[in-house]
Amino acid sequence: MNIVNVNNLKKSYGTNIVLQGLNFQAREGEVIGVIGKNGAGKSTFLEILMTIKQYDAGTVVVLDENIKSLSTSQLESVRKQISVVLQPTQFYKNLKVEELLKLFKGYYKSTIDIKQIISDFKLEPHRKKYFDKLSGGWKQIVSLAIAFLSEPKLLILDEPTTGLDPHMRNILWSYITDYNKRTGGTVILTTHNMDEIELYCDKVMLINNGVNEIFDTTENILTSGYKSINEFYLTKVSI
Amino acid sequence: MLATQLKYDLLMFSREIFYLVFTIFVPPATYIFMGQLFGDQTYAGNLSYVQTYTPSYILLITFTVVFFAFGFDQVTHRTTGVEKRIHLSPVSKNTLLLSSIIRSVIITSLGYFIISLIGLLMYDLQFQLLQTIASYCFFILLNAVLLIIASAIYSFFKNMNSALVFSIVIFQVVIFTGGFAMPISMMPKFIQVIADLNPMYHMNILFIAVWNGQLTFTTSTLISIGYIGALVIVSGIILRFQNKRKIG
Repeated sequence: MNIVNVNNLKKSYGTNIVLQGLNFQAREGEVIGVIGKNGAGKSTFLEILMTIKQYDAGTVVVLDENIKSLSTSQLESVRKQISVVLQPTQFYKNLKVEELLKLFKGYYKSTIDIKQIISDFKLEPHRKKYFDKLSGGWKQIVSLAIAFLSEPKLLILDEPTTGLDPHMRNILWSYITDYNKRTGGTVILTTHNMDEIELYCDKVMLINNGVNEIFDTTENILTSGYKSINEFYLTKVSI
Repeated sequence: MLATQLKYDLLMFSREIFYLVFTIFVPPATYIFMGQLFGDQTYAGNLSYVQTYTPSYILLITFTVVFFAFGFDQVTHRTTGVEKRIHLSPVSKNTLLLSSIIRSVIITSLGYFIISLIGLLMYDLQFQLLQTIASYCFFILLNAVLLIIASAIYSFFKNMNSALVFSIVIFQVVIFTGGFAMPISMMPKFIQVIADLNPMYHMNILFIAVWNGQLTFTTSTLISIGYIGALVIVSGIILRFQNKRKIG
């Protein structure tokens, strides 16, 4: 079953054409990495999938809904099934971690026990801390914990591991892959870390010059002669 | 959901020292201080200090709450990315807006009662039931007007620092040209011209009149009402335009 279906997507900001005919599909349970150089349109693409950015042309179907034709309340209904981790992650700075979790539990009308989430994400030492006072890594972990409050069908992560040390990256990825295996949820993410793509993603989409220059499985890319995804990226993308 | 959002909105407000100082402490302290200096004076309409400045300082608290805790907060959330993250959650905009409005009404009502209590204890403030009810209803209406105008003004800010500088400057302008420091008639001519353009000055005049049961529909009253009404309409148009631009 396709969770996301994108055909001939076009988006520009004034005269700056960012996406000029992008095609993309994500099936249930897939982990897909979106790569490309800075300014390639990765975040724009994700924000369109998140239903918070309009586009100029093409078709975008998310969870069986053509998002162009949806009313505000219908969009809110689609968003109930999507969770996101943004870069940079920001929440109300004057709320403590536990309070944020409780507030978002209310937003998602979640039945998940906050104590369980705190335990699962090892947040006990931080639950009384203000979100603003956490390190970048813990902010990302809290953001992911909030994203999982809803047991989303689609998880969208915009550069989730940027700025994290290797341990924090590992912890974050263990949660993501565990969620993916446990719930069969689909994960779409952007990253500049090609090792992560190689280790964790089923498919890779390379956005170059506004189109999906390559959209294939990680395995196929590696068997086509590249030693690593990093080598593939350096070969395909010029400065 | 509304109750949960409101609970956390009030909690966040109580933790923001900057807002608390400018909203809950500065206006009452100024009210007491000015009363000690000019408590025996008689003002326009043959009103005493307490009759003139009690509604004025209630309005000043309303202004600071709405402009700092509502308007400036919007800019903070927009520029730091909080607004975007909340927008991605399945919480309706109406719930967030309603919670912000109720929060403002609760905090400004608290200001209303603090100033009234100080007036009662220190300056022999008199209450009449009907007038008090009319004043409170008018105060709620002014709350709504200020919320709309503040939302429209702060929708232009994309940067927190410029919004902060604007807030502090506008606070000073409102104090001096809104009739909160001393009567505008005693001010230099150019201040009087600025006062005529300051909606807070018009709201202040109207609120003092309602508070003291002196509201009559003279030409100047109608000009004040018309001016405020026009600003509300313009603000509504701005907000509609800005909301369309947000989803780009």
